[in-house]
Amino acid sequence: MNTVAESASETLPLTRARRRERFRGRFASLRFRLILSVALVHAVLMGTFVWEAVRDQSADIRAQLVSRGHELVTLMAVASTNALLAEDLGSLGEVTDRVKRQPGVVYGDIVDIRGDVLASSDPARVGHRETRPLNVRDHFPLKPGDHVLDLSRPIEVAGRRVGTVLLGLSTRSMDTALEKTRDAGLLFILMALVVGSVAAWALSMIVTRNLHILISAVRRIAKGDLDVRVNVNSRDEVGILARAFNGMVASLQRTSREVSREHEKRTEAERLACVGELAASIAHEIRNPLAAVVNAVPLLDSEKLDPEDHAEALNIINAESRRLQRILEDFLRFSRMREPQPVVGDLGGLLEEVSQSVAHDPAVPATVGIRCHVPAGPCRASYDPDLLRQVLWNLLLNAIQAMPEGGTVDISTETLDGQVRVTIADTGTGIPHDIIDKVMRPFFTRRGDGTGLGLAIVQRILMQHGSKLSIDSEPGHGTRVTFQLPAG
Amino acid sequence: MRKLSVIAALLVVLPVQGLYAAPDRQAHFLAFGVLPIQSPTKLAGMFMPLVEGIQKALGQPVEFVTAPSFATFMKRVMAGRYDFVYLNPLLLKRAEKAGYHAVAKVAREPFTGILVVRRDSPLHNLNPATLPKGLRIGFPDPNAYAATVMTTQYMKKLGIDVHRDFSVKYFGSQNSAIMAVYAGLVDVAGTWWPSLRSMPPRVRKGLRVIAETPPQPQMPIAVRSGMAPQRVRKLTRYLTSLTHSASGRRVLRHLGFKHGFAAANDSEYAKVGQ
Repeated sequence: MNTVAESASETLPLTRARRRERFRGRFASLRFRLILSVALVHAVLMGTFVWEAVRDQSADIRAQLVSRGHELVTLMAVASTNALLAEDLGSLGEVTDRVKRQPGVVYGDIVDIRGDVLASSDPARVGHRETRPLNVRDHFPLKPGDHVLDLSRPIEVAGRRVGTVLLGLSTRSMDTALEKTRDAGLLFILMALVVGSVAAWALSMIVTRNLHILISAVRRIAKGDLDVRVNVNSRDEVGILARAFNGMVASLQRTSREVSREHEKRTEAERLACVGELAASIAHEIRNPLAAVVNAVPLLDSEKLDPEDHAEALNIINAESRRLQRILEDFLRFSRMREPQPVVGDLGGLLEEVSQSVAHDPAVPATVGIRCHVPAGPCRASYDPDLLRQVLWNLLLNAIQAMPEGGTVDISTETLDGQVRVTIADTGTGIPHDIIDKVMRPFFTRRGDGTGLGLAIVQRILMQHGSKLSIDSEPGHGTRVTFQLPAG
Repeated sequence: MRKLSVIAALLVVLPVQGLYAAPDRQAHFLAFGVLPIQSPTKLAGMFMPLVEGIQKALGQPVEFVTAPSFATFMKRVMAGRYDFVYLNPLLLKRAEKAGYHAVAKVAREPFTGILVVRRDSPLHNLNPATLPKGLRIGFPDPNAYAATVMTTQYMKKLGIDVHRDFSVKYFGSQNSAIMAVYAGLVDVAGTWWPSLRSMPPRVRKGLRVIAETPPQPQMPIAVRSGMAPQRVRKLTRYLTSLTHSASGRRVLRHLGFKHGFAAANDSEYAKVGQ
């Protein structure tokens, strides 16, 4: 259950990361960039154009309102000059009444030189002191929330002020018109954005369709399919690229075939050389014991042979026969090695078990100490327990045999980057530098009683596990061998 | 020293500048009522420089005011609306009842009424015997002293009854009556010299004076009795000294009064209207 839970919890971040990567990939795609670019260009150009148009139109509308206000206030001033000078309140009232009937007029006041309102669109104001400033700001922008454009014009006669006309124009209709213009502008920008995006999408489809064909062809090539060709007939850059791509793949296919043929030739030659070398090694290995047996057998028929020599000859025949048997068994084991069946197990436990077994072997001298430095808790790795046990036996025995005067074998593990590294270090005689590359060859041995297949078997098993043996040795100081297994 | 003189100059100039540039809306204005002998705009053009001068002389803002008609003007006079007024001698008699009294008058120039016709008119004199029937005559207002009252009385002495021998029309102001005869709306118009002189040269040249009344006391400026004596003295002094300075003469050119104003009193107008 724990394993399932752990694997599920590990899968989630991976899925999220993959999704995130896919999401980023979409935004990094040429199609997206093309759509984004065209949409942005549309938005910026249309936005600028519409902004300018709206601004110009707004300025025009405002200018028209200001101009109309100025015209109206000027007319008021002209129309009311005589009546103001004559204090003809009736005529002045007619002026303000007429002005009030004009669309958008909020108020209209005629004020004399004293500041008294002589006529107003609001009759209640007549006769009172004008409270509004006589010199108003008659241009835009107005204060926030102010929807009345205030205008004033002095009534002058012979260059001298005799009164003032005040006029208020509502900006509500203008504001509504501006809002409509702005909304229309925004709608145009939105439409431009949509149309631009659709156009960009269509364009990107046309441009990237052939690129996608190329991409899928590249993926098939990456999987080893060199028969793939792209069928792009366009005359644009992508078409040129496709034709160049097809040429490149054809060339690659030819080269690959040649390399393959060369590889087969070399493999065959190496195989034949290896067979020859192996045959020579086998012949070499069995020649001496066989010669001893062949030489000893005739002696058994000799009547002159005293009983001691006869027994010695029998001993030789027995010993050499056993040696021949061992050589052949090791060779068969080497040649018929089964495929590993890895499972996730406690590598630390296996190391301790094998080290203790070896330590308790009566053949191991008492002067040799075996120390296993395995961290507390399980050290999980993926391996075939039987095959790995053989690897460890062989390496430990090699280490012990390298210490005829005694010494220490240290076994340790270390987990790094999803790999468990196993190190076996001895304090033995070490391996001379000139033969360190040969020690893993079959039938290479420095001991008279060895078959020379121990390290070859170790290397083969490790290779089957996707690993290999590394040897680091210093003659006179010892040897350190390491290999790695995938962490479980 | 130079700085001090600049500050002193500013202290002197600033109040005056303020007086002219933008009258204080809270200050008390003296109302100068002018008889609507011309259109309000024309009157304002004539009297505004004088108003400014009075304002400066009195140290108080002065408001130029006229009225839509002689009748309205006199109603306001009788109601005491104006602090001082420019009106004709006949109306002065009525204004005296409201407490106004003359302090100055237009100097030296004979105060006469005149009758004008178009230059191409067949009328050359006012001979009742040869006067065509059905003539049309225009006046500014029934109460226009020189233009209406004096000319009517003059023609009566000649044996012409205006209301019988003419078709009478009133045009509200001197320049309206002058323009009416110039445009052919009437055959004769009653007016006075200052108004005729103020008309554009083209109009003046197109008209001809066929009669002038004997002189009467000139148009007065009268002050309301409630006005402080010191202010009245300042006003009179200013009016009578206009000919003594270039600025005063500029004021007079706008008014059309060549010789300015002279001091006056009510007794000079005692016989007016009798």
